[in-house]
Amino acid sequence: MPQQNVIFENIYHEYKSMVFNLALHYLQNIEDAEEVTQDVFVKVYHSLQHFNQKSSYKTWIYRITINNCLDFIKKKNSIKRLYIFGKKSENEKDYFNATTFEHPGIQLENQENAEILFGVINTLTENQKTVFLLSKLDGLSNIEIAEIMELSIAAVESLIFRAKVSLQEKLSQKFSTYRKNKK
Amino acid sequence: MEKEKWIQQVLNSTNGMTAVTPNDDILIKIKQKINQQPTVQTGIVWLVAASVTILVTANFILINQYKQNINPKEIYIESIVNNNNQLY
Repeated sequence: MPQQNVIFENIYHEYKSMVFNLALHYLQNIEDAEEVTQDVFVKVYHSLQHFNQKSSYKTWIYRITINNCLDFIKKKNSIKRLYIFGKKSENEKDYFNATTFEHPGIQLENQENAEILFGVINTLTENQKTVFLLSKLDGLSNIEIAEIMELSIAAVESLIFRAKVSLQEKLSQKFSTYRKNKK
Repeated sequence: MEKEKWIQQVLNSTNGMTAVTPNDDILIKIKQKINQQPTVQTGIVWLVAASVTILVTANFILINQYKQNINPKEIYIESIVNNNNQLY
């Protein structure tokens, strides 16, 4: 047991930043990202003795984080629907539509544009959002993303391409609003 | 042109972003959660599995016995009575 605790603490210190930042990009809320980070590491602790080393710790922890973020969004949306008796949405935009997000790690002069970008990212499908965040914000290669999401490299490339096209289309629609506000 | 430039600016707005460090007290909270969570004992898991198996087997045996106990003669007489007593 003490041996497991030592391994766990090493894993925590190595991957805490990775988990927290991915959760922050996903959920766009610091308190929620902290909650998910805690849940991810509790899961890691309990699953550590069953970890079969087929993939690296990094890949394994990425998977747990993504699944926990998606579950967290679904749970929040279902609680919200319970109160307002609303209908089920196709993606997770219910969770995000109330707030705008200012990422603490983004340079001040880019904050306004980044806020728009995060808003548009939330309109992507789950898989498109995941590959875009992993590729663009975490800087992972397509091979690494394919391993994490258990998809082929071609599928990842296709998702990234479709995500970029979708973002450009949505930003194009937002441009007129941006111009009006600037005038 | 202006539109394209703006779209690229928005898409590149996360360039140079720095990683955010989580709070130091997260590890303490994680350890509290780990100690709070009750772990299910293996014995209890086996007990539940055995109970479910016994229940399913008992149901299966009872249904089979019931099917075997139905007398074919009774079924035949019942069908004749039904056919001859038709009111329409």
